[in-house]
Amino acid sequence: MTTLPAAAPLRSRSRARSRLWRAILLHAVMVPLALLWLLPLWLMFVFATMPDQGIFSPGINLLPQDRFMENVRALEAETGFLRTFVNSVLVALVYTALSVLLTSMAGWALVRYRFWGKGLVLAIILGTLTLPYFVVVIPQYILVARDLGLTNTWFALIVPPLFNSLGVLFMRQSFSMMPQELFDAARVEGVKEWQIFTRVALPMAKPTLAALSIILFLASWNNYLWPLLVATQSHMMTAPVALGSLIGLTRVSWGAIMAGAVLLTAPMLLVFVFLQRWFMSGITAGAVK
Amino acid sequence: MAELTLRAVRKSYGTVDIIHGVDLDIADGEFVVFVGPSGCGKSTLLRMIAGLEDITSGEISIGGRVVNDVEAAERGIAMVFQTYALYPHMTVRENLSFGLRMNGNPRADTDRRVARAAEILRIDALMDRRPKALSGGQRQRVAIGRAIVREPEVFLFDEPLSNLDAELRVQMRVEISRLHSELGTTMIYVTHDQTEAMTLADRIVVLRAGRVEQVGRPLELYGNPTNQFVAGFIGSPRMNFLAAETIGTIGGGTRFRLVNQGGAVIVLPLDRPPAPGEAAVIGIRPEHVAPAGAGDCDLPLTLDVAEHLGSTSYLYANTQAGEPVVVQAAASDGARAGERIAVSIPAAQALAFDAQGERLR
Amino acid sequence: MRRRNITAYGFLAPYLLIFAAFWVWPIIYSFWLSFLFTRRQPWTFNPNTTWGRLVEDPAFWNALKNTLVILVVQVPIMIALATVLAVLLNSTLLRARGLMRFAFFAPVVVGEVAYAAVFRLIFSEDLGFVNKALAAIGLPEVAWFSSPTAAMALIIMAVTWRWAGYNAIIILSGLQSIPDDVYEAATLDRVSPVRQFFFITLPLLKPVILFCVVLSVIGTMQLFAEPFLITNEGGPGSATETLGLFLYLQGFRVLNFGYASAVAYTIAALAVLISLLNMWAGRERA
Repeated sequence: MTTLPAAAPLRSRSRARSRLWRAILLHAVMVPLALLWLLPLWLMFVFATMPDQGIFSPGINLLPQDRFMENVRALEAETGFLRTFVNSVLVALVYTALSVLLTSMAGWALVRYRFWGKGLVLAIILGTLTLPYFVVVIPQYILVARDLGLTNTWFALIVPPLFNSLGVLFMRQSFSMMPQELFDAARVEGVKEWQIFTRVALPMAKPTLAALSIILFLASWNNYLWPLLVATQSHMMTAPVALGSLIGLTRVSWGAIMAGAVLLTAPMLLVFVFLQRWFMSGITAGAVK
Repeated sequence: MAELTLRAVRKSYGTVDIIHGVDLDIADGEFVVFVGPSGCGKSTLLRMIAGLEDITSGEISIGGRVVNDVEAAERGIAMVFQTYALYPHMTVRENLSFGLRMNGNPRADTDRRVARAAEILRIDALMDRRPKALSGGQRQRVAIGRAIVREPEVFLFDEPLSNLDAELRVQMRVEISRLHSELGTTMIYVTHDQTEAMTLADRIVVLRAGRVEQVGRPLELYGNPTNQFVAGFIGSPRMNFLAAETIGTIGGGTRFRLVNQGGAVIVLPLDRPPAPGEAAVIGIRPEHVAPAGAGDCDLPLTLDVAEHLGSTSYLYANTQAGEPVVVQAAASDGARAGERIAVSIPAAQALAFDAQGERLR
Repeated sequence: MRRRNITAYGFLAPYLLIFAAFWVWPIIYSFWLSFLFTRRQPWTFNPNTTWGRLVEDPAFWNALKNTLVILVVQVPIMIALATVLAVLLNSTLLRARGLMRFAFFAPVVVGEVAYAAVFRLIFSEDLGFVNKALAAIGLPEVAWFSSPTAAMALIIMAVTWRWAGYNAIIILSGLQSIPDDVYEAATLDRVSPVRQFFFITLPLLKPVILFCVVLSVIGTMQLFAEPFLITNEGGPGSATETLGLFLYLQGFRVLNFGYASAVAYTIAALAVLISLLNMWAGRERA
């Protein structure tokens, strides 16, 4: 009886001390690691503001300078970067809208209806989830570029990449978590199936739609291989393709390339910072199946 | 006119039969309750009437028209769901008018119908709120309102009160009753709660495992069940069942020995007595078990638990062989666990069933 | 009801149409292609020039070897790092958590081209940032682009930087789905935090980690942009040429579609095989 109250504060004090040590250890690991991880991005921003003499000066320079606009201008002069940037925005927007529509319609069909072949469709979607894109890229290219002759068209940039299984699974999960009685209620009320989809199901799926849109937009924005294959003329190139074509060319300054990298990356970083919640749920969508 | 007829209605998923041929006639303006334990097929049957589930075979007609291949929306029905099924992204007003708007109903008429439903259900003050901001009872009212605006010939209710707490459930039960007498429309109501069935129904349909066990007015089911299942399902606390054996006939009565009761014997007047030696079950409701000496067959019991509710007490007791018997007794007997009590079964209130659970008459 | 059947197909149609045109057809066509000699018109059936060549092409074996090296070295390092990151980022003791998350998760939104450019620049051999930093702390400079080993290390570092946070996000979500009371119970049983990690966290995270491994395997099998852009098309020589890059060069530089298709099928088969192996290794033991 008498030892217990005396022992308790001692115990909690030692526990507080061990917590403190653990916290110190944790930060001793995490702070340097985080700084190391931030370094490439930081350098990208810093170098985008420098002339090449600054980047390759013998000293280490970690602070931004004032040459960003000059670098952007040099970049524009070299590739017509602005045009490719606009191309990227358009492609990503249209791609995202179409892909969201397609995948949510498919996801809806898989939740709402019993139909012949449903198991097969689901098996296909799950099967292609783990299928490397490289299996289809060559014949896709032959089909689009050679057989259809659609190189350097919006169609070629937007339509072939539209198929994605993750979106269907994501939407399917979202719809299946809604109370199905809602849709029965609408049906009894004589609401057409298409209207049930657009007026009831889609509005209720807004958070999922937001997450999916962000992920799809990001994927399209950063897509490199496919546009590299089908956009060969500079006026149809997307920004990553245009920027990639400059890497390794000695006549282009690294400051200009870094400026391009910043222009490509900064919008997505803003999306990440301000829409983090949806972004995260989009990334983890595949894992929770 | 919206009478409703079911003829040999069946439902199966692959080889599994969910509904085994149901025949039923429901009169215009009648309040019919489908009741049964969960999984008995009552909701499936209701959804088949609504047009939300296919009919494997048989025929459903509403107002004289066969509706097997008629879309749900064209059947002249409205449905209230267990989870209320309110559209979460719409206000109450939008919820009520959604179906009409989507079908191009004239705006003035829609407004009139919505206003009328709001008035009937006294939800005028809630019209601009979203479902999230409503209490369970209010949501249920909106769900009913959404059915009313359709001005249907038949209302279908799928366990509408099972998500409410006990007090609200009683209150909403009264309101649904009032609604029925105000509108005079045919109503079909599904529940697993026999109290709801007893209080609301003009007629009750008792279902078990996809079959109709009995159809009848509430008191008919209570007093004259056709089998042991209905006898046990209707009434609360449920009827006591005592294992028995037929001994023979004596005068106009049949003698049964209560097998878990040592020598206790009860004589019931039956027109068609079973053969001696056949197993039987004697049923007696808790409220009919009489004090010792007041009935025709005395039973000594050991009290297990006593629930004193003020106006009445429920005594949960066991026979010598451990067969449970519930007794409804007058208030505060002060009986305690482990105590021995004696009761008696009045033959006039006792029912007999055969080994298959069919009523012996 | 047949009408509802038709409605269902209506909703699926656009999606399946895209699938049929741009996946089903290519997969079948690609298989056929992998038996054709495509260097000369008209294309002729000649598996010797595709599958036959594959088995004895040293360039293919080199690309396969490089890919497997990355697979064996990079994937385990990255997954282990991602797991540790997820656990540490989830710690209640951590301050400035938002900033920390930003540091590790931000690379996820950076495109291949942008980050490849940055890595190529900061690892420049002459007066590049990394070599200057190494010199500043007294370490020898590294020939990142002319030494095969260093170039491979560079690719591995770059991929790890880009993808560790991505995997950490997934593992973190798995971590957050573990109920707290499991840890409370363990704490009451006086299980130390380190042991809690090994005996509670890791076993419960196994499915999520496995998922990350499978994703990473598929990703590595298709690794293309990094060696293409950072080490200048798989340099030095072909020391960092991966299967993905090999396929690109065969398919779209040499335009040898038949041979590249055989490579594509090999990549797919390996990805599926290694994924299955992983799942088999990580299966639940009854």
